[in-house]
This record gives sequence, C-alpha cells and structure tokens, in this order.
Amino acid sequence: MTSFLQYTIFGIILGAGFAIAATGLVVTYTTAGVFNFAHGAVGMIAAFSYWELVANHHVPAVLALVIILLVGAPIAGALVERVLMRRLHGATAERPIMVTLGLLVILTGVATIVWSPKSQYQLNPIVSGSFRLVSINLQYQQVLTIGIAVALVIGLRFLFSSTRTGVGLRAVVDDPALLAMSGASPDAMSQYGWILGFVMAALAGVLLALTQEQTGISIVAMTLLVVNGYAAAIVGRLKNISVTFIAAIVIGLLEDYIIYYALPHLSQSLNSDITLALPMVFLFIALVMLPSVRLRAVGRLSTVRVPRMPSGKESVLGGAAFLVLAVIASVVLSSVVVRGTNLLNLGGEVMALGIVGLSLVLLTGYSGQVSLCQFSFMGIGAFLMGKVAGGGSLLGLLAAALVCAVLGALVALPTLRLRALYFALATFAFADAVDQGFFQDSRVFGGGINVGRIILPGLSFGGDRSEFLLLSVFFVLVALLVLTIRRSLFGRRLVAMSDSPAAYATVGLNLAATKVAVFAIAAAMAGVAGGLYATVNGTVGSADFGFFSGIIFVLFVTVWSIRTVSGAFLAAVTYVVLTTFWSTGLGLVAGAGIILIGRAASGILGIDRLSTLLPLPWVRRGSAAGGSGTLAGIGTTSIGGEARVAG
Amino acid sequence: MSPVDDPRLPSELNGGDLPALTVSQVSVSFGGVSALTNVSLVVAPGTVTGLIGPNGAGKTTLFNVISGLQEPDRGAVHFFDIDVTMMKPYRRARLGLARTFQLLELFGTLTAGENVQVGLESTLKWWQWSHLRKALWRTNGSESAPGDPTAVDALAASDPLAMTTPDRLLAEVGLEGMAYEQANAMPTGLARTVELARGLAIGPKLLLLDEPGSGLDEAESQALGTLLVRLASTGMAVLLVEHDMELVMRICDRIHVLDFGHVIATGSPEAIRSDPAVQTAYLGTGSAPGGTR
Ligand SMILES: Nc1ncnc2c1ncn2[C@@H]1O[C@H](COP(=O)(O)OP(=O)(O)OP(=O)(O)O)[C@@H](O)[C@H]1O
Ligand SMILES: [Mg+2]
Repeated sequence: MTSFLQYTIFGIILGAGFAIAATGLVVTYTTAGVFNFAHGAVGMIAAFSYWELVANHHVPAVLALVIILLVGAPIAGALVERVLMRRLHGATAERPIMVTLGLLVILTGVATIVWSPKSQYQLNPIVSGSFRLVSINLQYQQVLTIGIAVALVIGLRFLFSSTRTGVGLRAVVDDPALLAMSGASPDAMSQYGWILGFVMAALAGVLLALTQEQTGISIVAMTLLVVNGYAAAIVGRLKNISVTFIAAIVIGLLEDYIIYYALPHLSQSLNSDITLALPMVFLFIALVMLPSVRLRAVGRLSTVRVPRMPSGKESVLGGAAFLVLAVIASVVLSSVVVRGTNLLNLGGEVMALGIVGLSLVLLTGYSGQVSLCQFSFMGIGAFLMGKVAGGGSLLGLLAAALVCAVLGALVALPTLRLRALYFALATFAFADAVDQGFFQDSRVFGGGINVGRIILPGLSFGGDRSEFLLLSVFFVLVALLVLTIRRSLFGRRLVAMSDSPAAYATVGLNLAATKVAVFAIAAAMAGVAGGLYATVNGTVGSADFGFFSGIIFVLFVTVWSIRTVSGAFLAAVTYVVLTTFWSTGLGLVAGAGIILIGRAASGILGIDRLSTLLPLPWVRRGSAAGGSGTLAGIGTTSIGGEARVAG
Repeated sequence: MSPVDDPRLPSELNGGDLPALTVSQVSVSFGGVSALTNVSLVVAPGTVTGLIGPNGAGKTTLFNVISGLQEPDRGAVHFFDIDVTMMKPYRRARLGLARTFQLLELFGTLTAGENVQVGLESTLKWWQWSHLRKALWRTNGSESAPGDPTAVDALAASDPLAMTTPDRLLAEVGLEGMAYEQANAMPTGLARTVELARGLAIGPKLLLLDEPGSGLDEAESQALGTLLVRLASTGMAVLLVEHDMELVMRICDRIHVLDFGHVIATGSPEAIRSDPAVQTAYLGTGSAPGGTR
C-alpha cells in the first residue's frame, strides 16, 4: 500500500511536469496557431543549461532559474517568433511544421556538440529535505513541482478568461478579424504566445530533469520526456487548458503504474522497449481518439508556383542521361576511397536514399501529407531484406514493399481523417515508437545484420561498381514511376486533394481512399529503398534509420524541393555527404536550411531570387516565395500558416 | 459536343414531376446562434431557381447542408427520391449533385484544364491500366493539347461516357484556350468559371452555384445567364445564389428569399420584387432586390 501511494505521488509529479509542458504547447498553439515540434527540445536545452549553471559553474539554483526562465527562454521565444515564424504567415500549412522540426534538430544538434552524450549529467534537487505524510516520504522538491504546476494552470486560466491580454491572445487564432477590430496586433499576441510557450517548456524541462535524479539527464531522453506533454495537449484538443492538465496527470500516473507494475513481469529487453516507446504510444492513442476533421470550404488559395512537369519523353531522356553519367562515374571513381568507404558505395547509399526522397515527393510534394516516418519503413525494409530468404534476395525486396504497404495503410487508416498537423504528429509518434521500441531492441538489428548483395539469376552484384549501377537503375525507375503517377489521373487527384479537400469531395472523390492509397504506395517505396540501402554495405544497424535522422532527411528534401525528382536526389547527396564528413552537423545544416528557405514552397530549386532566402525582416520578400495569394478584389488575412480569403 | 447534350444529363427526368431537390424543415445553429431555421424549399428539374437574401442570411450554410459539408441539426434533404441527409459529400456528388463555392475552392496548383479533368474522370478508377499508360507519354499532366486528337480519343475510348473533354467544357463556359493556365494565377471571375466547368464535368443533375456572378463583368455575366438557362433547358436543376439582382430576376423561374435563416418568401421574380417582406429585409441592409443594377 505504501509503495502504491509512493508510486502515485511519483506519477503525479511526473504528470505535473508533463502538464507544464503541455499547457505551454497549448498556449503557443492558441495564440500563434503553430504547434511547436521543438517544444521538447527547448525543455531539454533548459535542463542542460540548468545543469551547466548549477552543477558546472556553481551558480545558486535560484539565480540559475531566473537566468533560464526569465531571461534566456523569453528572449529565445521572442527571437524565434520574430525571425523564424513571422515570415511564415501565408505559407503552406506544412511549413510551420517543417520549421519547428528544423528548430528541433538544431537544438538537439547544438546540445550534442556542447554537452557530449558520453558524460554524465547529474542534478541535485533545488530544495533538499523531505517530510513524512501519513506513511510516505515526500521531498520538498516534489511538493514544489506539483505546486508550480497547479499555480501555473490556475494562473493561465485566469489570464485567458479574465484579462484583456488573455482574451486578445485567444482571439488571434479564433478570429483574426475580431482581434484587428479590438486594436491589438496579432503579431504582438503571437509573440506573447511564443514567449510564454518557451518559458513553460523551459520550466517543464528543468522540473522534469530534477525527477531524473538517479539516472541523470540525456539529450534524447529529456527531449522525449517533454513529448509526454504532447499527448496531453492533444487530449485537450490544443485549446482546453484544464482538460490538458488533467490528461497530463493521468498520463503521468499511467506511465508510472505501467513502469512499476506491468513491466517487471515482462522480459528485460521488452521492458526497456516499452518504457521508451510509451510516450509516443500515448500520443498515437490520443490522436486516434480525436474526432475527424470536418470537411469544409476554407476559401484558401495559395499562389504556390509549381515547377513545370517534364513530359514523358523528357523524363525518359533525363533518366537515360542520368544513367550514362552513373556509368561514367562508376568507371572514373571506382577506386576512390573516402573515409574508409569506397565512393561508389556512398553513391549507392545516395541512390537508395534518393528513393526515400521520391516517396516524399509523392506523399508530401504532390498530395500535401507530411510524413515523418519514411525512415521507419526504410528500416523495416532493410530488416526484411536481411531476414527473408537468407538476405540479398529479390524476395526480400518484394517482402519489404508488401509489408511496408500494409503497415503504411494501417498507420494511415486511423489517422488520415485527421487534419494535416495531427497526421504529421501521428507519423512523428509512429516513427519514434518504431525506433525506440523495435529498431533499438538488441534482437532486431543488434550490432548490425548481414544482408549481402543482391543476387539475380546469372548476374552478380558483388562488385561495388555493379551494385552502384543497379541502384542507379532502381532510382531512375522509381523516379520515372513517380513522374508517371503525377501525369496520371491518380497524380491529378493527389494534387487536387491537397489543394482543396472540400472541392475534392464535392466532385465525387473519396478522400480517405486516396490518402490510404498514396500513403501505402509511399511506404512501399521507402521499404524497397531500405532493402536496397541494406545491400550497399552488406550490413545495416539501427543507427541507419534513427528517428532524428528521418526528420533531418525530410527537411533536406523540403529544403531542396519536395516537388521534384532533383530535390529528392540532391537531398540524398547532401545527407550522405554530411553523414560521411560531419555527422554532428547534420541537424544543424538541415535546420538552418529550412529556416533560410522559410516560406519558399518549392525549396531552393524553386527560388529565382536569392534575397528571398535571407531571414532578415527588412529584406523584401520576393515573388517566388510562394504563400498566400491576393486574388483580384479579395482581401486575405492569414494566420498560423493558413491563408484565409475573406469575402 | 457541348455538356448540354452530354448523354449523362438527365433529359429523361424532364417530364417527371419529382423535384430534383427537396429541403425539408432544415435547421442549423452554430454555438447557439441559429443560421437556418426550419428551411424548406424545392428545386424542380429543368429550372433555374434563385436563392437570395442579405449577407449572413444563411445561403451558403444551406448549400453546405445540401452538399454534405454541414450536418443539419434537424430536417432532411432529398435528392429526387433519395434521402441524402446523412450521406457523405462524395456520394452525393456521385449521384449527380455538383456545386461551386462562394470563396474559391479550386485545385490551385493544377491547370484550368486539369481542374475540369479531375471532374470528368471522377467516376474512373485510378488503378485501371489505360490511364497509367496514357500518363507515360503525356506532357505536363494536362489533357489534350489543341490539335492532339489522340488524347481525346483515348479518353473517349477508355470510358464511353467521357465524351466531353476539358477543352470542350472550358470552351462551353467561355474559357477557350485557357486549359494551360495554372488555376490560382487566374483572375477571380475566370477562376469562378473554371469552378463552374469543373462542376459541370461530373455531369450533374442538380447544380448549386454560390455567387458565380461576382467578379464577372457585364458581358460575362450576360453569358453566364444564357449558359444557365441553356443548362436548365436540358433538364438540369440549377439553384443559384447571387447578389446580382438583375441577373437573378432575368433568368430565374422561381425565387426563394432567406432572411436570418428563415424563408420569408417564395415565388416568381415579379412576385418577389413586389413582396413587402422582402423589401423590408433588403431595406434593412440597405440594398433592394432588383434595384438600380
Ligand atoms: N462555420 C460557422 N461557424 C459559425 N458561424 C457560422 C459558420 N458559418 C456560417 N456562420 C454564420 O451563419 C450565418 C449564415 O452564414 P452564411 O455564410 O450561410 O450566409 P450567406 O447568406 O451565405 O451570406 P453571404 O451573402 O455573406 O454569403 C452567419 O451569421 C454566419 O456568421
Ligand atoms: Mg454566402
């Protein structure tokens, strides 16, 4: 009984930390209309800054808190709003998602450089000492955490319902027109929102870090710990602070009970799989329980200029030219070794990753669905390639395609009825759950599985050159497939569905069926890419398909151009070059890239004026930046990355 | 061939006396504010029926209820004799119910031609090989370049119903030669017309038009009137929401007037023009129906 009470108290404390994180998300979302994917990373940075100040430089805890919560976090929040987010008004709906993901990988990248994951980071409580209540030991620290959470929620409720600023804050998202009439500036309000959001993320980060006394804090674990708050925020539909608070406490308790009561009965390795995947499983469940998005006319017309589609003839000629270059490269470069790897093998990796990029062109570029789990399918494909028919078999590729298509459909089915943001979050949750719960399990990839090269009857791809050429042919074939799809009736439907779901339905087309189909096809493509990737070096491990790597890759494709084959290819080149030469900088470059690209819907390849790249507020935006259009005689207002055309 | 002699159009329904659309006692409220209260109306095949009312009267909301984008709190919607009240929007469209939107809902990054083509192809299955094969060599994802009869024939051959091409449909609504324009780069008036052509492309028996005349100049709006009358003459039922009273009074066979979510008058254009209740409703908002325009 005592232990039950003890666990309950501990669950509530955890939940209180989640609650602070979750309400921070809700505040940013309601005021700025943006779901901050970097929220967890902000908390992580705050926790490490606290460690740096207190444990490393012996700054008094209270002073450290003041520096972090009242100086660092607000300034960072204000800067992020001003420099990164404000430029996005009127961009496509996917863009704020991408930019906050960029922030996420930058922050984790910086943290990895500053606070080497090899060291230990232990924290002491802010207030030490404990007392006994009934029969359990309570630390002052724990009481403080709960107290802060409760005070914060009550304070926020008061702020939103009773003060002028609070009402203004709420109006930013609900009714921009009303806000404009009230004289408050939407920009100022969303700046408030970002500042509050950052402060709460930082507070949650520090308080949650303090619950990790025994284990010490780590970058990934801290980032994901705050992600527990995401599920609670989703239960509160990103607007209801009280519901969010209660949900956070419930999640904290559930997590605690599962860890203390259910897991000890399971095997050791399964145990840690579940512990790590739990936050994302909660998030996925919370998303699946959301009501469907109502199909409605939004009158949104973006003026995104799309790149010209090559004709069938041009595509085939381009593909042939590409293969000729590949043959030349395979001859010229055959003996170049870079960092211990044959250059042709790096080229093979580029081709395989290029196919993953192509799956994103199809899924995100054409049909507007953001998927953050293509690397999960890739990893599953690689795994199957290694396990089916002894490895290196075409049957393995076939299995990869089929299994991933089915899995893709299973992920899409419960979530495709959700809005784009929630769908992206679901893929985020799925990707991390697969990484933590499956790839990282020592029984799956272990130290790496042997796949071997592809064996075709009468043909051997044992040599690096033939392997490289085989993968080049695969890349060209999949590229032609994607272009063909775009030119087909199905391709028109994908673009139509993305441009106007309401109109799509009212011409008699079934959104759900199309979405499942394209998601399954893209998943199969990524699965095949994974299978091919595995054959390049003959062995693959979990690190090849990590959660953050997957996000970084999506960002690279977006930066180059998520609507073109060249974008997919260049993203793969960038990714492979960076992993080879500067893998710590991977996230930094990807994040910086997406921030520089800003609103430009068609990435670097779609830009014709370089001034649009600069994130400086005083540089005029070029026409190529895409975004919200003003049609003759129609005024536009825009908020949160969606432009609404007001009649 | 024009859409008006498209075999899909319900000329056989011309003589029947079943209304194409029956709205019965429909009520909708948004957070306690009622937008529609016990609205009932019928639209007969082969007629142009007007739906007018001041701003915020509930016209667009009623269109959303009819097309399935808004679930009514109470009441029923029948399409001919089918109860469609709870039916999904895409199923209603497949029955032959097309609409346009007051605020444009175009497929903005597709060309005008492709917009129409998505409508034309809406009954086809994407996995049928014939479409994929065509896509292998076609330019620009768009359809039937002028002077490319093979594409037209291929489409016609793949589905005997799809005799109409995007070019022909666009020409029909006065957008000749605009098939290659990217839709979101077109001026509002033309963009609305693309929406109309896309609606016609699904071969509707009932066409709902939400202010198709706004953004059109005098001559274009004349042409629109002529087109709508011609469509109705083939047996199509047209329900028209329009603020251009001159147009409404000229082409409508019957008019329903909405005010604050209530139907306050129903009748011929003459009857509506002289109806005192209608005049009060419009005077209240400062514009009289059939006024100076
Ligand atoms: N989604 C919604 N949520 C809340 N209120 C709504 C919504 N849609 C419409 N309304 C309200 O319902 C009423 C009717 O709106 P509706 O758009 O149907 O009018 P309308 O007759 O089409 O006006 P207009 O001539 O300006 O197009 C208005 O008061 C409007 O504010
Ligand atoms: Mg309206």
